[in-house]
Amino acid sequence: MSNPSPLILADGITKRFGANQVLTRVSLEVLERDVVCVVGPSGSGKTTLLRCLALLEEPSEGRVVMEGVPISTPSPDKQVKAAARDVRSEIGMVFQHFNLWPHMSVLQNLIEAPIRVKKLPRDKAVAIAESLLKKVDLLEKRDAYPARLSGGQQQRVAIARALAMSPKVLLFDEATSALDPELRREVLAVMRQLAREGMTMLVVTHEMGFARHVGTRTVFMDRGEIVEAAPGSAFFDAPQTERAQRFLQQFADE
Amino acid sequence: MFKYQFRWDTVWGSFDFLMGGLQMTLIISAITLVLAMIGGLIIALLDMSRFRALRWIGISIGEVVRNTPILVQLLWVYYVLPIVFGVRIEALVALIIGLALYQASFISEVYRSGIQSVPKGHREAAQVLGLTPLQSFNRIVLPQAIRMTLPPLASNFVQLIKFSSLGAVISVSEITRRGMELSATNFRPLETFTFIAVVYFFICWPLAMAIRFWERRLQAR
Repeated sequence: MSNPSPLILADGITKRFGANQVLTRVSLEVLERDVVCVVGPSGSGKTTLLRCLALLEEPSEGRVVMEGVPISTPSPDKQVKAAARDVRSEIGMVFQHFNLWPHMSVLQNLIEAPIRVKKLPRDKAVAIAESLLKKVDLLEKRDAYPARLSGGQQQRVAIARALAMSPKVLLFDEATSALDPELRREVLAVMRQLAREGMTMLVVTHEMGFARHVGTRTVFMDRGEIVEAAPGSAFFDAPQTERAQRFLQQFADE
Repeated sequence: MFKYQFRWDTVWGSFDFLMGGLQMTLIISAITLVLAMIGGLIIALLDMSRFRALRWIGISIGEVVRNTPILVQLLWVYYVLPIVFGVRIEALVALIIGLALYQASFISEVYRSGIQSVPKGHREAAQVLGLTPLQSFNRIVLPQAIRMTLPPLASNFVQLIKFSSLGAVISVSEITRRGMELSATNFRPLETFTFIAVVYFFICWPLAMAIRFWERRLQAR
C-alpha cells in the first residue's frame, strides 16, 4: 500500500454476473482530494467498478477498503458488514439518471437522509440543505418537485443531496450522459467547483475535457481491466498503449 | 313488443325495497374491498417471500382463484365449506368470503406491480445515502406504490359492485336478488331488471369515469 494511505481502495476486484466477467482484478486507489476520472469505451466495466465502490455490488473476488478497513468482500462476514454500515453514508454517489425521489420536494429529498440516518434535528438539516441548494444555485427551487426541474437542475439537486451527508468521497456515474450539452455545462461547473474545494471524487465520465483539465488522475479501462493510468493530463498528451490511443482518436475526430 | 304497456308504477311501488337492496350491495362491496385489500397484501407478501414454500402457496392461491369462475367459487364456498368444516355459513358471509378471495388474488397483482413500478434507482439512491432497507421501503417505495395502486383499487370497487349481484344465486338480499323477488310477484321483469341495470350503470359509470380521469392525472406527473 502506498503512502499516504488511500481514502478508498479497490483491491483486486473481479466481478462476474453469471458467466459474464465484467471486471478482472481491478485495483484502484483514491487518495484524499484526488479527482480520479475513469474513462473508456462503454461496456468496459467502469460503472460496475463504481457500483462496487458504492457498495451496490458485491465483488466476486477482491475487496473494497476504506481508510484501511475492509468494507466489501465476497460473502462478507459480520465485521465487514458492520464496517460497511458505519461508512455507508460517507461514500456519496451521483447517478446517471439522477434518481431523485419524485414524491418529495427538493428540500425533502435533501433532508431525508440527514434526518433518518444521521438523526439530525429537522431545522439543522434544513439549514444545511438550504446552504447546499444555494451552492448549486437552486435555492429558489427548494419547494419544487423533481418533475418540475430540468435534467441539469435535477442533477444539481442530486449532487446537493449527496453532499448533505457530508461524504468523504463522491462517486459520479456518468453524471452528465443523460443531459443535453447546454445542461451538461451547469452540472460540470458544479463538479469543477467541488474539485476546487478539495472534494475527493471518482468520476466515471465521457467528458474528456473534464478529465483532462480537472482530474488529478485519469484511469483508462477496457474490457474489464485498467489498461492505463496517468496523472493529470499526461494520459491525453501521451497515451502509452495502443488501445488508449485508439480510444482517444475517436474524440480527436469529433 | 310495440303494444307493450309499461307499468313503471310496479317498480316505484317497491322503490324502498329495491333501494334497501342497493344499500346491501354497497355495504357488501365496501366490506369485501377492505377484506380483499388485506387478503391481497397477504398473497402479495407470500408471492414475494424469501421462502419457496410460502411463495408456492401464494402463487397457487392466485392461480387457482384467477382461473376458476367466480360463480363456481361462490357456490363452492357456500355449499362445500360447510360440508368440509361442519359449520353452517350464512349466505351473506359466504358471498363476502368468496368475493374477497377472488378480488384479493387480483389486488395482490396490483400491489406487486405498484411496488415494481418504483425504479430500482430510487432504492439505490436511498441505499447509498445510508437508509436501511426498511426505511427505504417505507419512505421511498411505499408512498410511490400506494399512489400507483389507488386507481386500480378503486376499479376493483366498481367490479365488486357488479360481482356482488352474484349473491342473488345464493339468495343474499342485495338489489339483484330483490329484483328477482319483485319480478316474481309483479310479473314485470322488463321494468324491474331495466331499472336495476340503470341503477348499476349510474353508480358504476361515474366511478369508472372518475378513475380514468384520476389515472390520466397520475400519468401526467
